[in-house]
Amino acid sequence: MESEELIRQIMSEVMANLGKDQVSFAKKPAASGGVDASSYPLGEKMPGQIKAATGKVLADFSVAKVKSGELTADDFRIAPETLEMQAQVAESVGRDSLARNMRRAAELIKVPDAELLQVYNALRPYRSTKAELYGLANDLETKYGCSVNAAFIKEAADVYEKRGRLKAE
Amino acid sequence: MDEKTLRSIIEEVIKEFTSGSGGTATAVATAPSVSSAAGSLQISEAGPAERGTNPREVVIALAPGFGGRMTHTIIDVDHGDVLREVCAGIEEQGLSYRFIRVFRTADVGFIAHEAAKLSGSGIGIGIQSRGTTVIHQKDLPPLSNLELFSQAPLVDLETFRAIGSNAAKYAKGESPSPVPVRNDQMARPKYQAIAALWHIKETQLCDPNKKTQTLRVEYR
Amino acid sequence: MKSKRFEALDARPVNQDGFVTEWPEVGLIAMSSPSDPKPSIRIEGGKVCELDGKQRADFDMIDTFIADYGIKLENAEAVCKMDSLELARKLCDINVPRAEVVALTTAMTPAKITEVVSKMTVLEMMMAVTKMRARKSPANQAHVTNVKDHPVQIAADAAEAALRGFAELETTVGIVRYAPFNAIALMVGAQVGRPGILTQCAVEEATELELGMRGFTAYAETVSVYGTEAVFMDGDDTPWSKAFLASCYASRGLKMRFTSGTGSEVQMGYAEGKSMLYLEARCIYITKGAGSQGIQNGSVSCVGVPAAVPQGIRAILAENLIAMALDLECASSNDQTFTHSDLRRVARSLMQFVPGTDFICSGYSATPNYDNMFAGSNWDADDYDDWLIIQRDLKIDGGLVPVVEEDVVRVRNKAAKVIQALFRELGLTEVSDAEVEAATYARGSQDMPNRNVVEDMKAAGELMKRGLTGVDIVKALAKAGFDDVAGSVFGMLKQRVAGDYLHTSAILNDSFEVISAVNQPNDYRGPQTGYQISDEKWEQLKTIRQAISPENV
Repeated sequence: MESEELIRQIMSEVMANLGKDQVSFAKKPAASGGVDASSYPLGEKMPGQIKAATGKVLADFSVAKVKSGELTADDFRIAPETLEMQAQVAESVGRDSLARNMRRAAELIKVPDAELLQVYNALRPYRSTKAELYGLANDLETKYGCSVNAAFIKEAADVYEKRGRLKAE
Repeated sequence: MDEKTLRSIIEEVIKEFTSGSGGTATAVATAPSVSSAAGSLQISEAGPAERGTNPREVVIALAPGFGGRMTHTIIDVDHGDVLREVCAGIEEQGLSYRFIRVFRTADVGFIAHEAAKLSGSGIGIGIQSRGTTVIHQKDLPPLSNLELFSQAPLVDLETFRAIGSNAAKYAKGESPSPVPVRNDQMARPKYQAIAALWHIKETQLCDPNKKTQTLRVEYR
Repeated sequence: MKSKRFEALDARPVNQDGFVTEWPEVGLIAMSSPSDPKPSIRIEGGKVCELDGKQRADFDMIDTFIADYGIKLENAEAVCKMDSLELARKLCDINVPRAEVVALTTAMTPAKITEVVSKMTVLEMMMAVTKMRARKSPANQAHVTNVKDHPVQIAADAAEAALRGFAELETTVGIVRYAPFNAIALMVGAQVGRPGILTQCAVEEATELELGMRGFTAYAETVSVYGTEAVFMDGDDTPWSKAFLASCYASRGLKMRFTSGTGSEVQMGYAEGKSMLYLEARCIYITKGAGSQGIQNGSVSCVGVPAAVPQGIRAILAENLIAMALDLECASSNDQTFTHSDLRRVARSLMQFVPGTDFICSGYSATPNYDNMFAGSNWDADDYDDWLIIQRDLKIDGGLVPVVEEDVVRVRNKAAKVIQALFRELGLTEVSDAEVEAATYARGSQDMPNRNVVEDMKAAGELMKRGLTGVDIVKALAKAGFDDVAGSVFGMLKQRVAGDYLHTSAILNDSFEVISAVNQPNDYRGPQTGYQISDEKWEQLKTIRQAISPENV
């Protein structure tokens, strides 16, 4: 049966990439200095190497330090390096799109809350002109180095233009 | 709602669907004459809606079918009576009102937001034909709201009057106690599929290219 | 003359439900609409130039997004050519490992996967769910709301729900401006009941994100996506805005899942004549492409629509299965009322209850339904014993455990007292001793005194304005002498620094250890494999308060 053969062929290709008892597919070896599923959960297995966005080390976090004011709300924010590691974990178990999202997110850590909400609202239908979206994208790139997000927003602007979902001028 | 009404709605939608025209629909949407307890509701268009300047007004926005192709809410409340009660609620707070109709969308959040944006006070009310209603304020995101009455089968005339009254209070800058939210978990099993038919019909009356219109509302 | 038999039948609860016949032209059809596209995909130069019968030039926004982000392209053309029946067999065959299936399903187009699951009976789909669920162990989620938006009751109900075994709790509001109070009461109450419970507050997208950024919630779920472009516009979003929102959540270390469900497009009036299941498949591919770790689906709030047409409940199971087959966390609905009939509501839930899903209900109403502000759930607090006894009857783990009255009263009382102290420390509105007492013993808000709503809303608005955060809550709890609860809220905030719970199907145990599809993936391969109820757990599940033992006779 033709489809049976096809299945066999594809499966043999896919299975060739599989680790023996790995349940998820496309397991990639950890890049040098990188991590994979074996290091997960990072917060439990390597808290000494996980830093908050402010640089403070997760292993040193305590309620006492919150009470004394040594830890503030800013210290409870994830660092770009941590999200990159989580993206590597996701990739190591075959979840590429989740990893892509984590990398977009890593860029956005620096962007202040209000500005992030502003960009999100600008991306909603009929909210922005094409020039406004391109402007926001360029701002994110120049101010915060968000190149992946900038390209993503410009792509959205192009699609909105084609589909008539931009703000009427 | 009885089977007959349901059947007539379905037949109408099929007719519209098979004729495949959205263009004629808007004309029908404002077709006159809804019979009501005290005279029949007459709604006519009076040109594109403008932004108001009167800080003591509440704008009431109607969905494309309200008081035109559709004549009563999902629990058979007459559209003429609905408007009468909402207006009475606004009047009892000493404020004025005006009517508009939104054609671009049948979504009650957007309809109410359009009303709020055009309102001199920044407060608007949006009403769908089935009875779903929102009180909105112009600075809020479209799908947020001041008060939402999402379960159309629970919105009766008393509630409509309270909605008018509360909208007027917001317009005066007060912080009224919200109209008590009613909750009936059995409304969905009974009405949801029927409400969907209702909404399909209303969306088929939408015209994405038609600007929001000022309405003249009369009872004859 | 009227038949007495029919008279009796007409009086049955099921005959209060609304049923409609199929109407494929407007999409009022659960599966296999004549207008559903035939599966196809053509790739040129690494780009999809044809998807499910449409050329790229004719793509709408959703087609474009799915073509560019939603499908693994390497084997997509080959998989599309495979026999759908063969693929359906693989989905429910215990001899084909989950990973092998995922490699195929993630390469399918929306029309292809719809065609594949349409070949399966509900029993075969349940077999497939057992294997395809991402996390090894099933869990459950509860709704915690009330008509009065009473924060003290929310805290007490959250504590009880946590004690009863729910891994996630969700609240929403009657009045939008109550959102900060509800979110805080839920988070704190939950931690009193059992440390490590994830909580969320379902409100408008931007507001929901802000509550998360503040540290009042740990995750978000109401990130809704739709299967037609027109409905997406009425939902005030696009696939791009939603994907960006997904990244916003991850950038703040917050767990997030999308929400969609059969029936929403026809309910909102623009289904383009397509079946509910095909449109839902498009939603799931958007979710996958946006990089969300998971989805809440299973018709959810539109359940009255598929439930009113033939094979609607089958379509709901099929959409859950598609989500799992795309390797997503699946919070499988079973949340909203869709029937007056107790028989129908159990039959509908067994589809997920028996095989187990990441969250069987999303959620189960932790209050009586009159207080459920999601317009009523399929299961409510008055059904707790029924759920427990069904678990015991069938030896299945539906995520709940039996509890005794004195424990429930104890945690409810503590949660109420904690909220009283927290509100005092934070300078919010007053919580009286009478309210604490009422919340301790309440069944629902009918047993609660009324709040001064205007004062509460003012205080809720002010706390947002003055920039209060989760860190302030930890401090206030510690200052009020509740060091354990302060420690638990702190434990939740710490999660967002590590980000481990951003992965597929993540929940936390009471030591704040993450359990997800990364470190506990589902490895079901037939009898005696995959998730097995341990002896200890079984002891717990079978010990119900109603059972009479020989010693008592």
